[in-house]
Formats: sequence, C-alpha cells, structure tokens
Amino acid sequence: MDDEMSEYYFTASMDSGKTLCSLLKAIQFQEFAVFCALAEGLKLTVEEGKCVQASAYVPADNFTEYHVRSDVDVMFKINISVLAECLNIFGSGEESSLKMYYRCEGSPLILVLQPQSVHNVMTDCEISTQTADSVLELRDEDTSEVAKLVLKAPAFLGLLADLERSCDIMELKLSPEHPNISIITYGMQDRSCIDMPKSSEMVQSFNCTHAVTLKYQLHHIRLIMKALAVSTKVVVRCSSNGLLLLQLKLEKEDQRQMFSEFYIVPLLDD
Amino acid sequence: MKFRAVMIDAGPMREFTNIVSTISKLSKECVARIADDQLYFIVSDENSGPAPPILWCEIPHAMFFSEYQMVGLDDDHKDIYLEFTSTNLARSLITLKNAKSLKMKLTKKQCPCLTLEIEVPSSTSQQTRQVTHDIPVKVIPRKLWSDFQEPKIPKPDISIQLPTLKQLRTTIDRMRTMAAEVMLWASAEGRLTLQIKTDTSKVSTRFKDLRVEAFEGPIEHSDSETETQANEDKSNICYCRVDAKKFSMFLSADQISHNRTVCSIVHKRLVVLCLQTEENVKLQCFITGIVY
Amino acid sequence: MKCHVPGPNVKVLGRTVHALARFGDELYVESLADCVLLRTLNAAESAYAVVKFSKNFFSYFNYNYYSTEDNEGLKCKISMKSALHTFKSPTHMDKQVENLEIKLDPESCKLIFQLRCKHGIVKTHFVSILDCKAMQAVYTKDLVPNRITSPHKILSEALSNFQSSDDQVTVEVSSQNMLLRNYIDTLADLSKVIRTQVTLKPAEFDGYTIGADTMITFTLKEFKALLAFAEALSLPIQIHFETTGRPVVFIVHNGSTFEAHFVLATSKADNASQITTQNTTHNERTKRKDVSSSNHSARKKPNLNTDISKCLEEDSHLFNFIHIPEEHPVAVSTDGNVGNNNPQIENNMDCDVILPSPTAKALIRRVFKRCFEQTIDLTNIQGTVLAEDSDPDT
Repeated sequence: MDDEMSEYYFTASMDSGKTLCSLLKAIQFQEFAVFCALAEGLKLTVEEGKCVQASAYVPADNFTEYHVRSDVDVMFKINISVLAECLNIFGSGEESSLKMYYRCEGSPLILVLQPQSVHNVMTDCEISTQTADSVLELRDEDTSEVAKLVLKAPAFLGLLADLERSCDIMELKLSPEHPNISIITYGMQDRSCIDMPKSSEMVQSFNCTHAVTLKYQLHHIRLIMKALAVSTKVVVRCSSNGLLLLQLKLEKEDQRQMFSEFYIVPLLDD
Repeated sequence: MKFRAVMIDAGPMREFTNIVSTISKLSKECVARIADDQLYFIVSDENSGPAPPILWCEIPHAMFFSEYQMVGLDDDHKDIYLEFTSTNLARSLITLKNAKSLKMKLTKKQCPCLTLEIEVPSSTSQQTRQVTHDIPVKVIPRKLWSDFQEPKIPKPDISIQLPTLKQLRTTIDRMRTMAAEVMLWASAEGRLTLQIKTDTSKVSTRFKDLRVEAFEGPIEHSDSETETQANEDKSNICYCRVDAKKFSMFLSADQISHNRTVCSIVHKRLVVLCLQTEENVKLQCFITGIVY
Repeated sequence: MKCHVPGPNVKVLGRTVHALARFGDELYVESLADCVLLRTLNAAESAYAVVKFSKNFFSYFNYNYYSTEDNEGLKCKISMKSALHTFKSPTHMDKQVENLEIKLDPESCKLIFQLRCKHGIVKTHFVSILDCKAMQAVYTKDLVPNRITSPHKILSEALSNFQSSDDQVTVEVSSQNMLLRNYIDTLADLSKVIRTQVTLKPAEFDGYTIGADTMITFTLKEFKALLAFAEALSLPIQIHFETTGRPVVFIVHNGSTFEAHFVLATSKADNASQITTQNTTHNERTKRKDVSSSNHSARKKPNLNTDISKCLEEDSHLFNFIHIPEEHPVAVSTDGNVGNNNPQIENNMDCDVILPSPTAKALIRRVFKRCFEQTIDLTNIQGTVLAEDSDPDT
C-alpha cells in the first residue's frame, strides 16, 4: 500500500485540522475554490467576480507529513463548503487528526479524520474534484506600492465591525500627514469618519509615499472580517492603481503560521 | 375527568422539562395519555395522520410526582387523552428552572386547560412567587383512542448500543448541511455507520466496538447497493435510509440524562431509537425508512 | 451647544439611546442652561420617553455655544438610526471610549458626535438635523395614589415567564399583591393561547404604596425596553400610576446626573372595544376638544392635563415649563411643514395629546438660517432682522 501511496499526486497529514478548518471558513464566500498543492504548502483560492480574490495558504511545516509529486501540477476545483464541513465533522469542540489523499488527476480528494478523545470512531470523505479554471492574476508588475501599514488584527476587526452596514462605499484616505489613516462611510444623510494616526497602538508600522484617496465596496472589505477574527496581524498594501492587498497572519499555539490573503479591486471614479 | 399531580424535587423537574423540550423539537402537536400508573406522551407524524406514532414516551409517575391523582371517564375508559401544543408546554416549563414546586391539573377556564401552578423563589425576599400558566388542551374523544396505542412493530433485525448522543448529533448536523437523507448501517460485529452521498461527495462516519443487544440475522441482500468494508460478511449487516432532519431531532434527547440508548433496525424499513433513564422513563422514536 | 461626556458616562448615553430607539424613530435633543434633554415618541403616540442629563453629567457643558441669543439652547430632531449608529455597542464603548464631544455645526446644519477612543483612534459622526424643533408631553407624575419602587430584577424575572408572542401585559394591584397577566385580545382564539399569571408580593419591592386598587394594561415592547435600560445600569424603577386609561410613568434615575421618565399609555383591560393596534387619527383628536371630563378613556394615549394652570402648580421639577403660545401668534407660513400647523394652539392645548412646541414664531434662530431654507418662509417672521439673508447654499 505504501508504494502505491508514493505514486499519489498528493498526500498530507496533520495532528489537528481545526485551524485549517477555520481558515477555510474565513475565505468561504463562494461555493468553489481552486485547491493547489505546491511544494511549499497548500493554497486554496476563492474569487468573487473580478473584484475580490482571497487565498488561504498553509505552509508545509504545519503538516506532520506533506508530500507532493514534483513532476505534476496538483491543481483542481473543489467545493469549499463541503470541504470545510467535512473537516468539522466531529464538531469544533474536538481536535481530530487529518489525512488527505489525492491519487491523480480527476480523483476525488479523500479525507480521513479521527477525533483525539474518542477512539472507536473515524470518518472518511470522498469529495469530487473538477478541472480548475485559471486563477486571475490581479497583481500588476508595472505598479508601485504607495503605502504599507501593519495593523493589529483584533483592533482592526473592531473598527470594521463598527462601520454602518447599510453604506455601500468605504473611502480610505492614506497620507503621510496627520491623521494618517482615515476610513469614511456615507449614509443616507450622515457621514462617519474614523481617524487612526500612525502613533496609535493599533498601528505597528506605517509607510506612505504620498496621499491617496481610494474607494472600495464596503461589502468587499467586510469579506475579510472572518479571517481577521482568527488572525493576529494584518499587512495592508496599497498599489498606485488602487489595488488593495491585505495579508493576514494566523499564529497557532505551536508557533506555526498560516496565512490568508485578500486582493480587493477599487471602485474607479467615473 | 380529573387530574392533579405535584412535583417537588429538582431532579424530576429538570428531567420533565428536558423530555418535553425534546418532544417539542420533534413536533408542534402532542398527545398526553394520563393513565393510572404512567403518563404517556405520544407524537404522531404530521403528514400521515395519528397512527403509527413517531414518538412514544412512558413516564412512570412514581419517581416523578410526589402526588398523582386521576379519575377517568368511567370504568371502561379509565384514561384521559389530551391534545396540546408541545411548544406551549415546553415554553411554560422553562419557569421550572429554579422552581420549588409544580402542580399540574386539568381545569376548565374558557376552554379545557392544563393549568401549571409553579412556585418560584424570589430573589429579593423570603417569600415565593406564584406563576400560573393555563395551557389550552383538547380532550380527545373515545372513538379516536385506538389511534394512540403503543405501536406494534415487526421484530428488529438488529439492536445495537448507540454511541454518545451528543457526538452523533454533532456529526449528523454537519451531514445535514450536505444531504437530506442519511443511511444507517449496523453490523452484528458491533459496527454502526452513518453515510451520506451526494453528486459530489460521500461522507461515512464509522463507529465500532458497540454492544450488540440482539441480532436476528442472517440478512438477505439482493441488491448491489450494499457496500461493505473489506472482509465483512454481508449477511451480518443491515441498513436503513432515513430523513436526516428527523434523526437529528431525536438526538436532541441528549439533554435528557440517560443510562441506556439502543438503536434497532428493521432492514430497510424502520429505525427505532430508544432512550431510557434512571427514573425508568422510556422514550422511543420511530423513523420510517425511505425506500426508492 | 457643545458638551463633553467623560468615558464612563458614554455607556449611559449609549444605553439611553438604545432604550429610546425601542420607543421611537426620531430623537429630539434640547439643551437648556442646566441640562440636556433627549425625547422620543412612538409612532402610535402611546409611549413617550424623556431623559434629562444634568450639567454635572458632562465634563464640559456649554448649552448655547454658537448661539447669538444668550438664553437659547439647541432644539433639534435627528433620526434615531443615526443616533444608534453613533452608539453601536454600549458595552464595547465602556472599554474603548475615553471621551465624547457633541457639538452643533450650524454651517452644515449637523450635529457632530466625536468619540475619542483608546489607541488614539477618533471616530466622528456627522448627523444631519432633520428639523429644528422641540417636543414635549405633559403628564401627571407626583399626585398619584399608586407608587411602587421596584428592583429591576424582579420585573424582568416575572416577564421571563411570558411568551415572546405576548405583546401586552395587564397589571392588577391591590395592597395585598401585584398580579401580572398577559393581555389577550378578545378577538384571539382562546383555544390556542396560553394564559400566564405571575403573583408578586409587596415584600419583593423596595417601596409599595397602593392608594387605589386598580388594573392597567400597556404594551410590552416599550416596557421591556425600559427594563433593559434599568438592568444595564443596575438601577431600580419607580412606577407612578393611578387608574386605567391614565398613563403610567416609569422613572429610572441615579440620583445625581440623569433622570429618565418613560410614559406609557394604558388601556382598559378586557375592554371589548379595544383594538391592539390603532393609530389615533387627527379627526379624533380635534373632536375631543372638551375634555374636562378626564375619565374619557384615552385610547392608548398619554393623557394631557386639561388645565394649564394646574400644570404649573404641579411638582414636576424636571419639566416645569411648557411652551405657552404668545398673545398674538405670528402667522407662519406652513408650506415647509416645519411641524407647527396648529395656529389655534390655545384651544388645542387642553385636548390634544402631544404638541410640538411652537417653533417658527418664537424660536427662529438666525444661526439656523440655512436649515430653514427649504422649509420656512423667512419673509413671514416678524422682528428685527439682525443679519441680511446671505445667498442660500446650493
């Protein structure tokens, strides 16, 4: 059986699938994701329209075993909500060991889970896979980075949670001058503005070459909230074309790290 | 017709609340059959009329009530059958949480009612407060009594101990998000499997080392549907396909402190889940198999 | 107006707004020399709330900042939604907010709420002023036979026994006990409804004086809102009432910095003619011009005192001024619907429910000029024009 396994395109084991599960739920705003097993680690990507692209990245050192055949591309489309439900099959109160198997192109992804506290039960899942559409490349090599901020994730989440949901648009103003960071939302008759100076404890680092004012759909920005809730810090990078990149770091108890990444396209003024 | 019962111990009050709460999750309407020795709660399938019931619960009153008096219609018709909305009773019993005593009696207000008089301690004074709930009930006429008798079911092919209800419920609830029906497999070797299949996924949760109470095999399998683990004897396995939601609703009985839970399967046709408690309460749930 | 609310009090203000939001959709703000008043009225005009924050609630208080006339404070109406948005999560605010500044910006006609939070974060909300008027109800609070002081817990505990579908409660009091019952509409199907009754003994209350045995019925929605308010601030509730048909007044205060009055109209319990939801029509209001017989059951309306002079004698130390119309009311053009559409105010005073206090006539402020652009015809205002009209804003 082992020989056969080494022919498999991809196999991996983890002591607990819990963190992976919460990371997947954080990017679960579409039904399907592109699953990529790279040599460095696992990456799942979800896209909404051509405006938001979110990825979950799990470096290989998070796994107790991680094997990807070097001569093939392991990339397929899979239903991410089914995957998340399977990872959670024994409930969030239970730590379950996880094994993943992908035999070859077109095979289903096989998961085997065993709870750590109960020894007479196990679950096996077969989730069908499809050929992946290519992943949109939103980065533009020709643009430069205008601003980069590092913020504490929980505090940033608190700010976003406070924004009025009924507003469609969020305006982000970044400037080397005080107040360095401003988030503005417009309601029916009112306007709200949150000012965050770079001296704030929330801001771990701040770099801004020149003042920019950018508009985003509030709904898109809110998509990062689930990921923020499980992360420790977020790096916000703004390109000269307005593309916003938010990189979130999730740190587990064993000091291993997982990441999520969000590209958000700005609203262009007519 | 008369009925009066009093409960003064915290344990029975809590169990009674849990039982009624579980029943209310299964169905909105419920029938109470008040007999000399026991109190029965009967829930029928809303779609197929009163018989056969989907839930049958027996509560021997001796361990629950400190006082229990009932007077039926006449010598030939000794019991009282009442129909009521289970959520009404469940909601009213929430008051029992810190209560000192509960008195239940059949009364006639603007319509026949089951009146609950609950004594609750006050947080600000030594005295107790009284909370009264009048729950409207409908007295079921004698000619319909036959619909509410203990269901006669065929002898099950297998009776197997269930794993922890809470664990089962967590898993079934996850499975429910992916499929509407779940297949239950039980083997004479003490294995129980829950399985769902959709166009895009197949998920199987397998329990082993469960105690088999009874096995009436060998089971006949004529179709190709049967799947087995390697080396497993098909004739020792039976299965039944059931509605996942119904199965999950019974599992909310995990709130009731129990000492024995058994699953009995009539191959392809019926799943019976039975729960028993310290106070000899027996709760049985009948789920008909889905056959294509 | 410009005032500063210190950190710990921001939570109180937040809780107040949340409670008032369960009453009405519009918040009236008024600043006086010694206090700020927040008021609201529900759509059915059967529940009214007013909360007074004394000067010492604030760390800085200037009631007529920006005012050109020395003794006029702020009077305005804002959307309750806007207010709620400012005080989104009161419990959260307790730990986050260091200071709140509320000030009027006459230029843009907005009320600005600026929260200075921890970590140097500043949140500013620019809230549009919908109207420049005040509102007030007159009701009896002190000369009532029945007064009860209750710890907030027991009423909440009692209410927890009712179904969430119950929307009215009947309270029957005698010197022996208090009975709370869910009120059942006579049109409801009795075979489907649970009747619940809770008995509370006088010993449970901090104060219990019943001068006249009675039975009053009022809506649960606003009652639960004011109970939640008392519970959040851990304060007892004073209940003042007299008889069915007369409003019941609930008072929650901390003895020093704020006092809240919640006035709920009561209807006769088990009165077959009562319909649970109705909107008092204007016809009905103007019809009842002669209400000297105050026994006329006010259907879900707080009852106004019929005699103005009586009001002034009353020991209503919080609300001891009423807008008394001038001898020669100035005719005001009402095409903009500023809210004052009752030229015959004197006549209506004795029978109408809640009157918007006269606005255009006596209270036009030059500083609100721009707010009135669309709504008022300035040419009709008599009096010295202190400043020429500047060009209206686009």
